[in-house]
Amino acid sequence: MTRFEWSRKITIGHYIPIDSIIHRLDSSCKLLGFTVLIVAIAFCNSYFGNVLFFTFALFLFVLSRLPIRYGLSGIKPAIPFMVILAVLQLLFYGGGVTASGTVYIHYSFLLITSDSVRLVVVSAMRFVEIILVSSVLTLSTPETELMHGMERLLKPLKYIRFPVHQFSLIIMIAVRFVPTFAMEMEKLMKAQASRGAAFGTGRWWQIIRRTKDMFPLMIPLFRSAMARADDLVLAMECRCFVPGQSRTTYRRGKARSRDFSFLLIIIGFSLFALFYPFPG
Amino acid sequence: MAAEPIIDVQHLEHTYMKGTPFVHQALTGVSITVYSGECVAIIGHTGSGKSTLVQHFNGLILPQKGKVIVDGADLSDKKTDMKGLRQKVGLVFQDPESQIFESLVGDEIAYGPFKMGWPIKDVRDAVKGAMEMAGLPFDAMKDRPTAALSGGQKRKVALAGVLALKPKILVLDEPTAGLDPRSGMELLGRLKTLNEQEHLTIVFISHHLEEVAYLADRIYVLDHGKNIGEGSPATLFSNKKMLEKYRIGTPETVDILYRLQDAGFSVNVAHYGIAEVASQICSILEHGPRRDRYDTV
Repeated sequence: MTRFEWSRKITIGHYIPIDSIIHRLDSSCKLLGFTVLIVAIAFCNSYFGNVLFFTFALFLFVLSRLPIRYGLSGIKPAIPFMVILAVLQLLFYGGGVTASGTVYIHYSFLLITSDSVRLVVVSAMRFVEIILVSSVLTLSTPETELMHGMERLLKPLKYIRFPVHQFSLIIMIAVRFVPTFAMEMEKLMKAQASRGAAFGTGRWWQIIRRTKDMFPLMIPLFRSAMARADDLVLAMECRCFVPGQSRTTYRRGKARSRDFSFLLIIIGFSLFALFYPFPG
Repeated sequence: MAAEPIIDVQHLEHTYMKGTPFVHQALTGVSITVYSGECVAIIGHTGSGKSTLVQHFNGLILPQKGKVIVDGADLSDKKTDMKGLRQKVGLVFQDPESQIFESLVGDEIAYGPFKMGWPIKDVRDAVKGAMEMAGLPFDAMKDRPTAALSGGQKRKVALAGVLALKPKILVLDEPTAGLDPRSGMELLGRLKTLNEQEHLTIVFISHHLEEVAYLADRIYVLDHGKNIGEGSPATLFSNKKMLEKYRIGTPETVDILYRLQDAGFSVNVAHYGIAEVASQICSILEHGPRRDRYDTV
């Protein structure tokens, strides 16, 4: 294990080509289903519902035959944010307008109630669930498929002159280049480390120094991003891409009954986990 | 040549992306030794583990399995001073000009020495020395904006940025890739001078056999993460079996000699220098073409 292997820490957005039920689903149904699931998770406030969603997310991993450990490793970089969020919520939520529930600790401004504890636990769980679910989606679907799926889903918006194709193209390009830039970053870090840069050795309070340490990475990274964008534009125009022109696709996704039943299961499950009056 | 090993790699293995579906073993057991003052070339196909291997030399990748000893320091030892190691082993990456970030040439080259915490006078001297070694006149170039340089000049700046650390060992990953032939030749000439006059130990990766023949004292051939051959260019280029087995291209001169050999002329493949090949061809011409070939025409 080295300190420079960045690309392996980013598990979202790196398609793994294996075969499974989830991999074979029609991309627009899959996208819609996962969106419903993520929205449902975001609104779920009960302990029990979250346990259900968490189990379901793990079940999706099993179903898609993706390695669970790989999915879980995607949570690691998010842990600092989750901890900071949890601490803030624990300290300051209790005194809010909606405060209710049993009071555990009350000391000057500090007010910790059963509600604030639940908020902390539930939001951490939601975070993890959303990472897992979106990992399943991106690990089991190639980027181009995702884009076509999104395009088909958003098609109705064309009637209000929404640039559906351009929009999905932007999203696809953004997702597509995440691993590329991670690798580029890794290369730059190695190159600058070879010249004596020591990343991450500044103490956490030396914010200015730590920011300065990043300049030798940010500037070349920006430059290469610009160069890449230029190249991409040329490459696309050479292959006759005209923004807004109607295009045919090589693969025509067609949703079958299997895809619709997947969608129904997801919606049904989400509604159940969201609205069933669980005890506690 | 001093027979004291400065880089010693024994049974080194490395696996990328361990514990993910993209797991890939890049090194499967490499053992190489580089002696002080030598110029060693590492050749092999794409994906044979060359880049992974050289990143071990300055501790960017630490040995997972096996041993790497650089100038007496064992890299498996956690107490090894990495900063000191990276000062001793200068690593020039592929396409190094893309890593330039300062706006002025002098500042860019001084980045390493400043990071080492040297006093300003030493930094200035180091930058001056490095620029001259890389072929950039100090007074004329130090205040030029980096963005306005040509590709060849940028690569010189990148090389000077590494040389400014005064390394004992210079490691280069495809030093001439993407340069025009003239800048490439010039760079090779510089490296040769550095090796011969400054006694810098040089290890370089290359796909270009001409450049290997020109520069290297010794060659290591890598295949599938293992070293499968080693020797001076002369012994390696005369080992036709191995060249064919691993489909290593040969320099044009060696190619010509082999063709002459196949056509029935007696030539010595171990003498593959351009001048030597020319004189061999001349001597064939003096003795006249072989009758039997031209009779049929």
